[in-house]
Amino acid sequence: MELTAVLELINAKQFNQECPRCIKEINYAFVCDLMSDALMLLKKMPSHIGAHGALVTGLVTNQALRTAEILDLETIIFVRGKTPSQSVIELADEIGITLIGTALTMYRTSGLLFMNNVKSYESVLEEN
Amino acid sequence: MESYSREFKIQKNDIGNAGTVASLTKRELKRRGLTRDFVKTVTIGIYEAEINVVIHSYGGYCVVKINDDIVDVIFQDIGPGIECIDSALTPGFSTASHYAIENGFGAGMGLPNIQSVSDEMKLTSSKEGTRLHMKFNIDGDCYES
Repeated sequence: MELTAVLELINAKQFNQECPRCIKEINYAFVCDLMSDALMLLKKMPSHIGAHGALVTGLVTNQALRTAEILDLETIIFVRGKTPSQSVIELADEIGITLIGTALTMYRTSGLLFMNNVKSYESVLEEN
Repeated sequence: MESYSREFKIQKNDIGNAGTVASLTKRELKRRGLTRDFVKTVTIGIYEAEINVVIHSYGGYCVVKINDDIVDVIFQDIGPGIECIDSALTPGFSTASHYAIENGFGAGMGLPNIQSVSDEMKLTSSKEGTRLHMKFNIDGDCYES
């Protein structure tokens, strides 16, 4: 799903417009607020799909970015109206991660993405 | 390729900088031509250990050594130690503070995760400190073709 379509679907804004490596599509998503859960589950996910994968979270700290960086996910979707600080945005620019945010809840955001064929972690494993 | 060795100091509760060791090691492993999957495996272990030192200890240090055959990583902190290592290795067991949970950690998956990604893990602990030694073997399949 094209990034512009995702922004419209979940009524989101992009925080780092100037990010030089911003991806254009989001085809996979994983939802969590506890980063070790993401690290444990997504370690088996093939790294090459990360460019089109998104971490959906309410955690607006450097740790969400570091987790995405380690897992090769190139987009983070912040939910519940959370806004990252300037230092978080600067780190995202430095490591090449696209940050977008929506006021929607995590449940509604996930539901909308799922209904529009953004695939789950389980689907990724089944395909690979 | 030349050997790599670097020491990092880790401060108690410095959550803002947690992940720096993992990020810089990732950069070095990629520079050496290792695969993304291998790099991810190593950096997951390092990141979890780094977080543990930040959120559970009074501070410590980490030494990362890389050569053509192995990634060898030691984390050493200055206490207060792990009361029961068997419990700490149980998935879901956590003694994390509210501060750690607010920052996205404390799921009780750190040490089990480290154990599952490393080829060898040695963990010793007393009130004076905890020492975690991880090894990740490098073979031909770990390099990009």
